[in-house]
Amino acid sequence: MAHIPVDLQYTANKQSDSRPPIAALRNVSKVFGSVIAADALNLSIAQGEFLSFLGPSGCGKTTALRMLAGFEAPTSGDVLIDGQAVNDLEPYRRPVNMVFQSYALFPHLNVSDNIGYGLRQRRPRLSRGEIAGKVGRALEIVRLTGFESRRVWEMSGGQQQRVALARAIVNEPKLLLLDEPLAALDRKLRKEMQIELQDLQRQIGITFVLVTHDQEEALSLSDRICVMRGGRIVQTGSPQDLYDQPKSRYVADFVGTSNFFDGTIDAVVDGIATLATRSGLRLQGAATAGLSVGAAVCLSVRPEQIRMSRDAVPGGLACTVHNRIFLGEHTEYLVQHPALGTVNVLTPRLIESGDMSFQTGEQVHINWNPGRALVLSPD
Amino acid sequence: MRIYAVCVYLFLYTPIAIIALFSFNAGRHASQLQGFSVQWYARAFKNPFVMDALETSLFVAFVSATLASILGTLAAVGLQNIRGPARAVFDGVIYIAIMIPGIVIGIATLIALVTVFDVLNPLLASLWFEGGQPPRLSMGIGSLIAAHTMFTMALVIVIVRARLAGMEKVLTEASADLYATPLGTFRQVTLPLIAPAILAGFLLSFTFSFDDFIIAFFVAGSETTLPIYVFSSIRRGVTPEINAIGTMVMVASLLLLIIAQLILRRRPRS
Ligand SMILES: Nc1ncnc2c1ncn2[C@@H]1O[C@H](COP(=O)(O)OP(=O)(O)OP(=O)(O)O)[C@@H](O)[C@H]1O
Ligand SMILES: [Mg+2]
Repeated sequence: MAHIPVDLQYTANKQSDSRPPIAALRNVSKVFGSVIAADALNLSIAQGEFLSFLGPSGCGKTTALRMLAGFEAPTSGDVLIDGQAVNDLEPYRRPVNMVFQSYALFPHLNVSDNIGYGLRQRRPRLSRGEIAGKVGRALEIVRLTGFESRRVWEMSGGQQQRVALARAIVNEPKLLLLDEPLAALDRKLRKEMQIELQDLQRQIGITFVLVTHDQEEALSLSDRICVMRGGRIVQTGSPQDLYDQPKSRYVADFVGTSNFFDGTIDAVVDGIATLATRSGLRLQGAATAGLSVGAAVCLSVRPEQIRMSRDAVPGGLACTVHNRIFLGEHTEYLVQHPALGTVNVLTPRLIESGDMSFQTGEQVHINWNPGRALVLSPD
Repeated sequence: MRIYAVCVYLFLYTPIAIIALFSFNAGRHASQLQGFSVQWYARAFKNPFVMDALETSLFVAFVSATLASILGTLAAVGLQNIRGPARAVFDGVIYIAIMIPGIVIGIATLIALVTVFDVLNPLLASLWFEGGQPPRLSMGIGSLIAAHTMFTMALVIVIVRARLAGMEKVLTEASADLYATPLGTFRQVTLPLIAPAILAGFLLSFTFSFDDFIIAFFVAGSETTLPIYVFSSIRRGVTPEINAIGTMVMVASLLLLIIAQLILRRRPRS
């Protein structure tokens, strides 16, 4: 993707926060019979950003995307594109293109006819030369030059995926919608395509809205992530915000991995809450807004925030090393605490060297900086 | 079990084989073989009555199959968007149309058309301008085409519907997403993808109409199709010429059916 043609170039200004929203959802709900697939969604999508909907199966991600594309009309609320309510605008009138999970390439057309399909619908008509030129440049972007007259079913999954991408971006849509575009690819290819997708988005500057249930994919690609649950958006933020400041256990669990300890708040001093677990342990973490003494809460401690040592430390918890998993630059330990159960600890290779390597069965002490652990609402 | 199967096949195909065999008989008698000859085929082709009947049959088959393909395809595509109980009713009606015996369709069409003509003809005559000769609706090639179209349209609907059901809905969505209007989507995506089914439906309809005797017998009026000609000449005795005609009709029909099957078998790759 080294060479990007001029007419697809766009200089995205990701620094500016005053970018006008290219699309927005205003209190959008969608009900299918008795299922509320989307529940009062509110969201502004900024020009040029890479936004992801992240959530488990059935949480309404596809429904949200299909309302932007125009395949579903919202039951209530407004879908805005470029400031205009488009609730009842047919899909073929929306300046939006979609990459389908199954690619949905036309089996009776070859690669370049598939890519040129959208261009051929334009009125007034584009000349053959213009269409061929744009198709050629799109093929260049997805690195499929030379595949023009191939049959789409003769291509590999990754190539089909690129044709689907080219078929969408060649139209220079205001919004590119991608519904789990990489789900059908194997792990290695998926990684490659993730990088290509990100490069592509940066270079052509089209606003991307991606649907995925793969947190790694969402974290590595997006400028912003909407975490969804049961038809609702539970939190929206940058990958780092969601990782460092999840507002609920659900988000902390869905974005990255974490250790969770249930308890009730005993005291809050200087923003640090002490909570009592059912077994009487006292644990500390940073208090988050809206939680008061006596509330049932959940303490979230990321595995990499936990320190482990052979010597007892004040406030430390004595554990037994249960399992040691070598992960290259990290080592993951599963340590067993008599009351808390299994705790996940991730130590970087740096510390791992020499006598800081722990063996299975060894007695260790774990602790964490209370400021780096979060007291969250338990749901 | 195997013997039973062999008996069934023998019972089914021996008469057909005999017809084909005797069509090459050099002699005049239908019961004893007297050497090989294709003279009866030549005779059939030179017979003006046979050629007239063949022409009528081909014309009726072509027109009714064309109409059935167009109307059946439109109906199948339209039915796609109907859901729920209404859909079940439509489906039921279509299957019933296929399963009703030809003789019932023949009689029913005859009675219905005669009744309608009885009402319309006086009406036309009274409304027609002074002095002119009012047209008289009667049984004939039109009623024959109509009856065949009606029956074979159900065949086309079933075949095209199966193909539509196998076509991914996401393809029409992708087309709409790429700015094609509903009509554009139909022309550029749906039609090319169901074309093989339409062609197969056309061939089956053609074969059906070309071979049909029962319905034609009731509604053809004074028109003579090939099956009607064969029927009426058999009453004067079976000649090798009839055998030759039968053999040719059979081979042509089989070929069309095989082609239709091959078209339908070819799986769309995706
Ligand atoms: N056309 C429809 N008719 C009825 N119910 C539907 C329809 N589309 C979606 N739903 C329901 O709405 C809910 C949300 O569906 P949606 O497809 O948006 O989920 P998703 O987050 O994309 O899930 P997945 O990750 O499995 O694709 C589900 O419970 C689903 O069963
Ligand atoms: Mg989905």
